Amino acid sequence: MKQFFLASIVAGALALPAYAADYTIMAPAAPGGGWDQTARSLQAALQEEGISGNVQVVNVPGAGGTIGIAQFASQQKGNPNALIVGGYVMVGAILTNQAPVTLADVTPIARLTGEYEAIVVPASSEIESIDQLIEALKADPGAVSWAGGSAGGTDHIAVGLLAKAAGVDPTKINYIAYSGGGEALAAILGSQVTAGISSYGEFQSQVESGALRLLAISSDERIEGVDAPTLKESGYDVVLQNWRMVAAPPGLTDEQKAAVLADVEKLATSATWQETLKTKGWADTYLAGDAFEEQLAKDISATETILKDIGLVK
Amino acid sequence: MSTFEFLLQGLVSASQPMNLVYALIGVTLGTAVGVLPGIGPALTVALLLPVTYRLDPTGSLIMFAGIYYGGMYGGSTTSILLNTPGESASIVTALEGNKMARAGRGGPALATSAIGSFVAGLIATLLLAFLAPYVVQFAIQFGPREYFALMLLAFVTVSSAFGDSTLRGLTALFVGLAFSVVGIDQLTGQARLSFGIPDLLDGIEVTTMAVAMFAIGETLFIAAQGFRGPEIVQAVKGSVWMNREDWARSWKPWLRGTFIGFPIGAMPAGGAEIGTFLSYATEQRLTKHPEEFGHGAIEGVAGPEAANNASAAGTLVPLLTLGLPTTATAAIMLAGFQQYGLQPGPLLFATNPQLVWGLIASLLIANGMLLILNLPLIGLWVKLLTIPKPWLYSGILVFATLGTIGANPSVFELGMLLAFGLLGYVMRVFGYPIAPVVVGLILGPLAEQQLRRALAISQGDVTYLFTSPIAVVLFVVAALAFIVPLILRARGRGEVLSQMAANED
Amino acid sequence: MSLDHPETSTEKRRPDWAAFAIAAVLAVIAAVIFFDVARVKGTAGYSQVGPATVPEWIAFGLIGLAIWTAIEGFRGDFPKRDRQEFGPVVWVVAGLAAQMLLLKTAGFSIATGILFALVAAGFGRRKLWLTVPVGIAFCLAIWLIFAGLLQLSLPAGPLERLFL
Repeated sequence: MKQFFLASIVAGALALPAYAADYTIMAPAAPGGGWDQTARSLQAALQEEGISGNVQVVNVPGAGGTIGIAQFASQQKGNPNALIVGGYVMVGAILTNQAPVTLADVTPIARLTGEYEAIVVPASSEIESIDQLIEALKADPGAVSWAGGSAGGTDHIAVGLLAKAAGVDPTKINYIAYSGGGEALAAILGSQVTAGISSYGEFQSQVESGALRLLAISSDERIEGVDAPTLKESGYDVVLQNWRMVAAPPGLTDEQKAAVLADVEKLATSATWQETLKTKGWADTYLAGDAFEEQLAKDISATETILKDIGLVK
Repeated sequence: MSTFEFLLQGLVSASQPMNLVYALIGVTLGTAVGVLPGIGPALTVALLLPVTYRLDPTGSLIMFAGIYYGGMYGGSTTSILLNTPGESASIVTALEGNKMARAGRGGPALATSAIGSFVAGLIATLLLAFLAPYVVQFAIQFGPREYFALMLLAFVTVSSAFGDSTLRGLTALFVGLAFSVVGIDQLTGQARLSFGIPDLLDGIEVTTMAVAMFAIGETLFIAAQGFRGPEIVQAVKGSVWMNREDWARSWKPWLRGTFIGFPIGAMPAGGAEIGTFLSYATEQRLTKHPEEFGHGAIEGVAGPEAANNASAAGTLVPLLTLGLPTTATAAIMLAGFQQYGLQPGPLLFATNPQLVWGLIASLLIANGMLLILNLPLIGLWVKLLTIPKPWLYSGILVFATLGTIGANPSVFELGMLLAFGLLGYVMRVFGYPIAPVVVGLILGPLAEQQLRRALAISQGDVTYLFTSPIAVVLFVVAALAFIVPLILRARGRGEVLSQMAANED
Repeated sequence: MSLDHPETSTEKRRPDWAAFAIAAVLAVIAAVIFFDVARVKGTAGYSQVGPATVPEWIAFGLIGLAIWTAIEGFRGDFPKRDRQEFGPVVWVVAGLAAQMLLLKTAGFSIATGILFALVAAGFGRRKLWLTVPVGIAFCLAIWLIFAGLLQLSLPAGPLERLFL
């Protein structure tokens, strides 16, 4: 511990002349949530690695991050020392809330971590596979109730995409929104609903104990240690990652942007950050710069289409 | 090893001197932050979690448990002394507790709250240790229709605390209900009553409303009385400690509160407030001193405080047995557990017994530590009331706004605080009770969402609501709770009842 | 709260205008609810109780209560009020408003210190030249404890930056 402490001081002292940036990270959510945890983990890692000497976290909660992002874009314009944490949930929230400030108004830096959506049924259910579930959905969409997170959120979007891919009218899905993962999970375990959908992490321990049956996962390829087919290989072209990212304010010069990118790159590859990802159980889905911006644009247009199809965005 | 041995081992390791120090630090920090109005246990734990990162797993777990219980307890202190509930679960405590404090009985009120919390925490933690797997099987039976029935029951029973005028009680409730629909509708994602203002999309924060209505409304009301009345409140009349009668009147409510709070806390969508509402209503019906209710009945502090703490232990049941974080606090605890490599879930008791029992032992230790820390402090807390009015109320507003700013540093939130403070003032002037507004704000969305979920699952079939035995039982109890007082009143016993339902202010 | 004032009991059975004002406010809230939720009708999904239904029930309840309040006001059954002094109320409201407006620019200590002084003024301590500095010092101490030690995010202004 002591050596570690010394080492970090030395590292900090060495790094100081080159990277004097004192970052302020905005978590556009209340303390305790996923974005707040991401921001605070970033804070710890940036300081520990000596990338930044003094990092502050500011919480601006509200409306799926749209309040935070609006404030960030207007107040931090051109400030190369400000960062904001965000995620895929923002994409949907901006569209459903018709937020005036969008992700186009900030400078996306990198995707840091992400989770895939998992579709489960209670162990007592008669449904054994994703195909059976889709058959039931085709037969009577109203009879298949889905428990998941808030309306218009990632889980709802995933169900909409799946219905569409299966040729079922997305407006007909019977989606039951719950406020938190815990409540939705209780409803699934209690067989109150037909199926459940959420990030795999929410279901992992239940699946392992055999209380839930995992039918499919929304990743591109099969995930090691997860015993379920992807939706894609089951014939439904749905790939959805609930990612978290970090972005910079608008109006940065190319040099400033490059400096922030370099800092984040250094962070993402650092031992501290890798350790954080491991202890928090976050998958490393790092994607930076132009590649990330391209992916982001794709996500936004796909989300807009499906939210219109479900009828949440007009 | 058997359950009991694990627990014993946990207790031994938790009671090492260094670990006791950590427990003390945790309890102190938790109380210090939790005492701020508007900052409940969830935020307290979230803010202080990083402090525990630097310790070894056992020490860190113990400090964590201390922060959690300290945060819970802090809220009731301000409720009782300053009529400023720190969080939604201690709103009911303010009703009788503050009346007691104003009558110079703040000491016994704080004591019954501290000891009641301890007793409830102790019993509920033991229930958690030995019955968790069974309790959770019951809790999971609750689907939307059962919750809807439970909310209906809560509405009916808590309405007896609405004051002596049915009209004004109902009006206050409906004002609360009207505020409760502000924001994005959870089931359809549609914005309601938010008029395009992004800050309103998440609805009205219960803590903001409670702090504004109680703390700011009260300050304005007292200020508007001018310089009538003494500048210094008589803080202690009689003993600062509980007398024989206080004990006699407290122990049953403690136990009843525990057995009401624990199962409700264990229900994934129960909520800590519901237990306190039900406990208050129960005590009001069972008390031998109905005339004191509304004027500082000790049962009305003892029961809800016990229920509040028992329900906090109850939320650990689904968390530890199923990995279900059912409250904001539980969700943050989950994040806390993960740093100890503890993955809550059905396999937790089997794969990680040391840590689970270590946690339970830590909770027991923290609970005891809280009592040891707080009982001697009661004398000091009560002295707060002897601060001259100008400084006392300036201080209250500083801390009330500090809590709100700490939770969400936004100008808009402070504006709401001011607006609701004025509303609370005007309502006081016209004799409207305050608690129903907050009750409506809490229960309204819960009842609405559960009803709509139930109807969506059944695709619009209303009979679905009445085909579950648990729901039917709850509906019947709610109907009885509604009808029986009406019959009693018709028989001419209305006098007693209207006194029982005395105004809170 | 004892609202029955002996000296006002002679006025009993006279229509109470405050009751009519309250009834009107309740009716206006109901009208706003009806108007606003008309937008979200038709998005019910599988439950016949949609996003507009419960708000409408509440609005109907408010209308009923407005009528009831008006009747009580007409019959003079509405409780009488204590005399209110508005000077102190204005001081306290000014304090809260000042804090709200100054918070982002002047920081937590100055804004909240002014709140402290103005509330004390509302309760009769009008020596602002003394209470303002005391309030600011008190709030700075709070800031140092809660923002510095306990990591609460309280806005920093010129004064707090000296300690950052």
